Amino acid sequence: MSYTGYLYLFVFLELSYLFYIAVPLKYRWIELLVVSLVFYFFSSKWLVLLMVLCGFIVYFAGLFLNKINDGFSMARKALPKEERKDFKTIINWQKRAVVTVAVLSIFGILIYLKYYNFLLGSLNGLLKPLGLSASFKHLKLVLPLGISYYTLMAASYIIDVYRGKYRAETNPFKIILFLCFFPHITEGPIGRYDLLGPQLIEGHRASYKNFTYGTQLILWGLFKKIVIADRAASMVSTVFKNYTDYSGVVVLLAALMFTVQIYAEFSGCIDVVTGSAQLFGISLQSNFERPFFSKSINEFWRRWHITLGAWLRDYVFYAVSLSKPFMNLSKWAKKHFNEYYAAMVPALFALFFVWFGNGFWHGAGEKYILYGLYYYFIMALGMIMEPLFVKFFSATGLKRDSGFMNCLKTVRTIVLVVIGMLMFRATSMKAFYAMFGSIFKGFSFEPIINGAIFKLGTDAHDYLIIAVGVVILLIVGLLKERGHFIRAEVASMNLALRWVIYLALILSIIIFGAYGTGYGQVDPIYAQF
Amino acid sequence: MEQLIEILNSVKPGVDFKKEQNLIEDHILDSLTIVMLVAQLNDEFDIEITPLDIVPENFKSAEAIYKMIERLEEE
Repeated sequence: MSYTGYLYLFVFLELSYLFYIAVPLKYRWIELLVVSLVFYFFSSKWLVLLMVLCGFIVYFAGLFLNKINDGFSMARKALPKEERKDFKTIINWQKRAVVTVAVLSIFGILIYLKYYNFLLGSLNGLLKPLGLSASFKHLKLVLPLGISYYTLMAASYIIDVYRGKYRAETNPFKIILFLCFFPHITEGPIGRYDLLGPQLIEGHRASYKNFTYGTQLILWGLFKKIVIADRAASMVSTVFKNYTDYSGVVVLLAALMFTVQIYAEFSGCIDVVTGSAQLFGISLQSNFERPFFSKSINEFWRRWHITLGAWLRDYVFYAVSLSKPFMNLSKWAKKHFNEYYAAMVPALFALFFVWFGNGFWHGAGEKYILYGLYYYFIMALGMIMEPLFVKFFSATGLKRDSGFMNCLKTVRTIVLVVIGMLMFRATSMKAFYAMFGSIFKGFSFEPIINGAIFKLGTDAHDYLIIAVGVVILLIVGLLKERGHFIRAEVASMNLALRWVIYLALILSIIIFGAYGTGYGQVDPIYAQF
Repeated sequence: MEQLIEILNSVKPGVDFKKEQNLIEDHILDSLTIVMLVAQLNDEFDIEITPLDIVPENFKSAEAIYKMIERLEEE
């Protein structure tokens, strides 16, 4: 069920909300669980059981960790001080074994379903030159809805319990609700149990404020998705599909249009789901913070798909870089390099796992892995060069944070991101190399002057609507950057003005939305991951 | 404290760490610089900073970092 489709917006969401406020406060979480399971069943039928299985795996592992922790606290007091350390080591090993089995089990399901064909295809490729016949056959595997998202959420839950951040939940159905809560199941945000769990369980009263803010956000998300993203989709699809037919400004335009499309679509869908959750009084974590105002790639990834970056930071980057082997690596580096580079070595190595993981999470294929490593390369280069930059700016006397330099940095970040998006959308790495190279071959504005760009599935009228949409996004983005909370400001305007804005938004979606004859429904890009 | 300020300056030069009170919110320290800092702190103060200790409250200022070090030294 698409978040921007009629069925979700006009039937499912309304009924879920009405049932929610009709049920006594104490049982409202059960209503959320039931409607979330219905939503899931609607999309993936009996594959819902895999999600439930994932919930039960982390539930039992959590109970086991509770038991080990309780046993440890009781026994520790009775032990002499000198034996406590050894006892703690044994307990830590037991806990590590439990969390490892749980994490491997849930990731095992994900890897089998999402990466089986890719991994065996790669293995076949390796065996072929050795004279061994390719013996692994491709399987037709269907991915359950949101498996890449709920697996990360389940893993974060059990690792947090293992790390002692909170005690394990004793009701398995509350964990299942956390995993499959219908607004975030398809494409995130990737929630954390300590932030989301209590909100889901606590019954919320119907509130005018939540209803207003939630509806505003849903409308804004629909505007981004239907008016901007879906309108840009046809041109993008035409050029990327037949990339050998195009070069120069057309390919550049397609890369820019895809960047606009994916941002408007992904952040638009996240607005719809965040608004949906807010109707129920539940606040989801932020997933976008105006990423195109970033001054560096590092900052961009702190503002784009925030919950994925945060997950990789907390469970991959910190776990790897703070592990004993990496700390020993730092000690080794200290003897061989200066202070800065010695401290940088563990971070530099751990970052590799983060970006490999980021690429691999997006999809089974070398393109996605190289997409992740592209960002790794940029960040690693930035870290290695940092002392040189510091010297350069102090020698030249140039101000690193002047307005002009900040503008340059933002433009540089956007250029690097657009190149990344070209790779992300290209049908293969071969296509990416060809498309990237073709931009510089005989570059001219002729296709714009002779109108060729208007014959790619997106006409002049479409471009105009997209351009106006992007300007509106830019204005709203700038206002938010300056600290405005636009939804509250609109809600506090007088009745006439407020409704003029609401109606303008609703009418613009109805009039300028890309649906109906000539437009197919565009499936959300991030729902496939 | 002086030793900590020295380490902070080696990881992130050009910041007045004695004055700054919002190292995280102002993005002076990010996850990369924090890991670089932790590698140094673990070594210099013979402590073990775990992922659980990496929360904004522990890294918002030099003073907060120092308090965390003292706490971990006692453990």
